[in-house]
Amino acid sequence: MKKLLRYMKGHTLECVLAPLFKMIEATFELLVPLVVANMIDLGISESNRGYLVKMSLVLAALGALGFLFSITAQYFAARASVSFAAVVRSQLFAKIHRLSFSEIDKVGTSTLVTRITSDVNTVQNGVNLALRLFLRSPFIVFGAAVMAYIVDKKSTLVFLGTILILAVIVYTIMFISMPLYKKVQGSLDKLTLSTRESLGGARVVRAFGMEAQQERKFGEANSALNRVQRLSGTISALTNPLTFVILNGAIVWLIYSGALRVEAGALTVGAVIALYNYMSQILVELVKLANLIVTLTKGVASGGRISAILDIEDEKLDGEILDDGVAIKFENVALCYGASTEPSLRNISFELKKGETLGIIGGTGSGKTTLAELIGAYYPATEGTVSVFGLDVDKWDKKALREKLAYVPQKAVLFMGSVRDNLKWGNEGAPDEELLDALKAACAYDFIMEKDGALSYSVSEGGKNFSGGQRQRLSIARALVRKAPVLILDDSASALDMSTEAKLRANIKELPWNPTVITVSQRTSSVMHCDKIIVLEEGQAVGIGNHEELLSGCAVYKEIYDSQFGGAEK
Amino acid sequence: MKHTVKRILRYIGKYKLLLILSVFLAAVTVALSLYLPTAFGDAIDSIVGAGNVNYNKLIKSLFIAGGAIALCALLQWVMNVVNNALTFGVAKDIRRDAGAKLGALPLSYIDFHAEGETVSRVITDVDQFTDGLLMGFTQFFTGIITIVGTIGFMLKIDWRIAIAVIVLTPMSLFIAKFVSANTYKMFSLQAKTRGEQTAFAKEMIENQKVVRRFGREDENTEHFDEINEKLCKYTLNAVFFSSLVNPSTRFVNNIIYAAVALAGSLVIVGNVGAITVGGLSCLLAYATQYSKPFNEISGVITELQSSLACAERVFELLDAENETADGEIVPEKIEGNISFKNVSFSYNKNTKLIENLDLEVKAGQRVAIVGHTGCGKTTLINLLMRFYDVDEGEILLDGVNIKDIPRKVLRSSFGMVLQDTYLFNATVWENIAYGKADATEEEIQTAAKASRSKGFINRLPKGFETVIGEGAAQLSQGQKQLLAISRIMKGLPHMLILDEATSSIDTRTEMIIQEAFARLTEGRTSFIVAHRLSTVRNADVILYMENGIVKEKGTHEELLTLGGGYAKLYNSQFN
Repeated sequence: MKKLLRYMKGHTLECVLAPLFKMIEATFELLVPLVVANMIDLGISESNRGYLVKMSLVLAALGALGFLFSITAQYFAARASVSFAAVVRSQLFAKIHRLSFSEIDKVGTSTLVTRITSDVNTVQNGVNLALRLFLRSPFIVFGAAVMAYIVDKKSTLVFLGTILILAVIVYTIMFISMPLYKKVQGSLDKLTLSTRESLGGARVVRAFGMEAQQERKFGEANSALNRVQRLSGTISALTNPLTFVILNGAIVWLIYSGALRVEAGALTVGAVIALYNYMSQILVELVKLANLIVTLTKGVASGGRISAILDIEDEKLDGEILDDGVAIKFENVALCYGASTEPSLRNISFELKKGETLGIIGGTGSGKTTLAELIGAYYPATEGTVSVFGLDVDKWDKKALREKLAYVPQKAVLFMGSVRDNLKWGNEGAPDEELLDALKAACAYDFIMEKDGALSYSVSEGGKNFSGGQRQRLSIARALVRKAPVLILDDSASALDMSTEAKLRANIKELPWNPTVITVSQRTSSVMHCDKIIVLEEGQAVGIGNHEELLSGCAVYKEIYDSQFGGAEK
Repeated sequence: MKHTVKRILRYIGKYKLLLILSVFLAAVTVALSLYLPTAFGDAIDSIVGAGNVNYNKLIKSLFIAGGAIALCALLQWVMNVVNNALTFGVAKDIRRDAGAKLGALPLSYIDFHAEGETVSRVITDVDQFTDGLLMGFTQFFTGIITIVGTIGFMLKIDWRIAIAVIVLTPMSLFIAKFVSANTYKMFSLQAKTRGEQTAFAKEMIENQKVVRRFGREDENTEHFDEINEKLCKYTLNAVFFSSLVNPSTRFVNNIIYAAVALAGSLVIVGNVGAITVGGLSCLLAYATQYSKPFNEISGVITELQSSLACAERVFELLDAENETADGEIVPEKIEGNISFKNVSFSYNKNTKLIENLDLEVKAGQRVAIVGHTGCGKTTLINLLMRFYDVDEGEILLDGVNIKDIPRKVLRSSFGMVLQDTYLFNATVWENIAYGKADATEEEIQTAAKASRSKGFINRLPKGFETVIGEGAAQLSQGQKQLLAISRIMKGLPHMLILDEATSSIDTRTEMIIQEAFARLTEGRTSFIVAHRLSTVRNADVILYMENGIVKEKGTHEELLTLGGGYAKLYNSQFN
């Protein structure tokens, strides 16, 4: 949270003025009982009507001035907190774009979305309220004690003692109820999860006849929530009665001891009333302070969640740039994800020359995508080296490296906006002709031309207004717009029929910039024409060679081939 | 609206005693805390000046005050505890009903309502409703008592000043209303922009890997900052204007305070009333307390309205129709003969789907259902499992209408794997054991082996103990399907339903799994939906569907020689 505060830079003035003005307003409020005491002691006892009118006007003027200072303070506080939140949001968004893939996997995307939206809002509220009240409330509390000192030195001890006891009580209750509050949130999360399972997994729950168990699970979470809610409620319900007793007890004491001293002529009645009023002001302010503390703790918790993201180390991006020699080379490469003990890939070695084509084939979970992702250094290799154009990817400037790659992912993701906007992701400056060329090469030209507005046709959320196959072809076209020297197709033609895929393959072969192409697939038909094919099985390369070599020398490859063609050709 | 209130009262009815107690306690605590300034005023009045203090009166009134303080604090705490029991109890009761409802809702409800929507009814709406309604109620109630009480006490001290205060105070209400009317516009602008920003952030963060592969970091950040700037402007306005309410009402109250001080002291000086110095200090205390509930009540009314709206949303869910009544015939032994007799069904009345379908499946047959997207393949599965009930006709299992068989019995006789695999937020082990809490180590291991998932499970960070869910190891679609297949491999269902069960699994693994299935389904009726035709060639019967009608029926070879829709579909896949 502390680190977040540096984003407050540039708003120092507001941060000083808002609490300052609030304090001035509070000072006016603190003067009120003093004025009333004077009205009683000087005005009433001497029947001085003129003085009474004058003092009432002073009261009204204090109210008016307080109002002006207060709204100015509100404005400064609003400006500082809102601008601060905007900076934090922007920094967080940029940060997410600098995280490595393994960090993104670890954190999870939905919590990132929560942090950039609701957590930032919570922090904004916390900062806003803190600027307005955090100084004001203690100021009134201690200010009341100081005013008591001015009115009657001997009562100061009563005030300080009361404040100390109150502080201990409030702190103790908070100390006990904070962890309980966290528990409430945890129970609520469990209940939410259980509800989601009953809905999203309805078919599975019912197919296995688990409705009763699911309801029991829900009921348990529900009862647990109720228990911890009531426990934390019972404890925090103590705050108000306890402060009420302490403060009013102090008032009783003030009036009694005041009476003794008035009798002795050491104090006036007006002074006793003033002391009574100051104690009451503390009571009012404490209620506000309690609310403020709740908002602040929430703000600090959210701030911590945001800081946690900002503290993650950036993906290391800088390095050298080189473009020479062999396109891609793997030497004894192995990779373990996260805390996993068994590597997802091991002992991978191969070399691919510029302009050559590589096929990667293997079963579900054999490590095909992992291998392709190592080339862009999205995940760093645990062992061995991956070099691209003769330079170890660890040493590459990552941005420059990735500009050399055009990657078509397994899942064809399109974004809201026009077809043109989507294609331009490949290259912001590409003119329409280049976009159309890419569409033609990706076999997407025809169906786009049929749409209203062609390139200007708008893509709806998640690309739902295109079929799966169409989305894949658009996703390929987007990568082609890049004209990168290395093209990686990660199972990205799975929804295309055989003839379209064959045509696509032919088009890619004809691309004028002659890229090195890496095709990841489960289908032999997609990779059999490649110069080199790697067969992966449970993270290991069980065969490397061309189609003919593998068919005779690699049992796994032959099995895959037979499972797809054997039966059909019989 | 009236209906909603009635139902809320029914839920609260169970806690009638608590409610009465709460109202009673609220009235007593408010009365006591209002009485306190009077007691203090009396005490102050007994202090007249130097050498002139009425100790009897002083001590008596301070004792009374002390008693009032202690009693008030105690009752306040009891009231809070009672209110908690009431609020959380009602929330728990409503949620319990909602939880039971979740298992009784027909699939049609679940399919046609967004999940997040229903979740927010069960979680957020119940919370807001109970918080808002019950807290709003107590605040409203104590507010009214406070107003009435302070008016009473003020009238007792000096009726002229009391009337002035009563008339002046609502001014602050008007100011609050004026401010909030203007703020509304700014809030809606803010909400709109925030929505825009959230949508963008969500899209880009969820697809972060694509963003990065295209190096769109800078463009994205730029666009985000544009929206951010707009949002910053609107938020500033909204926050600032809404924060004007408190200072404004405080201002009005301060003016009234000054007026009371002046009027009160003039009355004392002029000796035109019975008011004393203690009485004035009392009056000032009441003037402050009197205005407070006005600020709160305007908030309470909106809160009550929104909590009623929340309650309505919860009741809508509770009122949704349940699955139809369950059947009672439990077959002794399930053979697996299935027949569709003149079955018609559609999801919505305007578009017809399945019409007059007749179909005979003999026990032990492997039935493949193929056809283009939207032809009704999955619908057949929905009907077989009674996720949906037929509109007309009947489906018979061994001659018994499936409507007469308890759903649980019917469904447990099928092993089902769907294309959209659902895994629970639990360990891999628990996911495989699902539906069979007492599954043994051996059963799970065998199931995982049979579905060929042991290899990748061992490569997960914690093997079988890896929790599947957000932030945990990410499983590919194919791996998820393998786990779902393990789930049915552990039991021995009488019949099998495989709806595109292997669509994301590579063909070689698929073949191995098919063999396992074949062993598993030996003599068991099975239904297989697939778009990859290579997987259905060996079926005993292939049903080729088009627009809800079974167009062609026969073995692979028969249908190929027929040269109809199936042959065309098959050839399109294999050139």
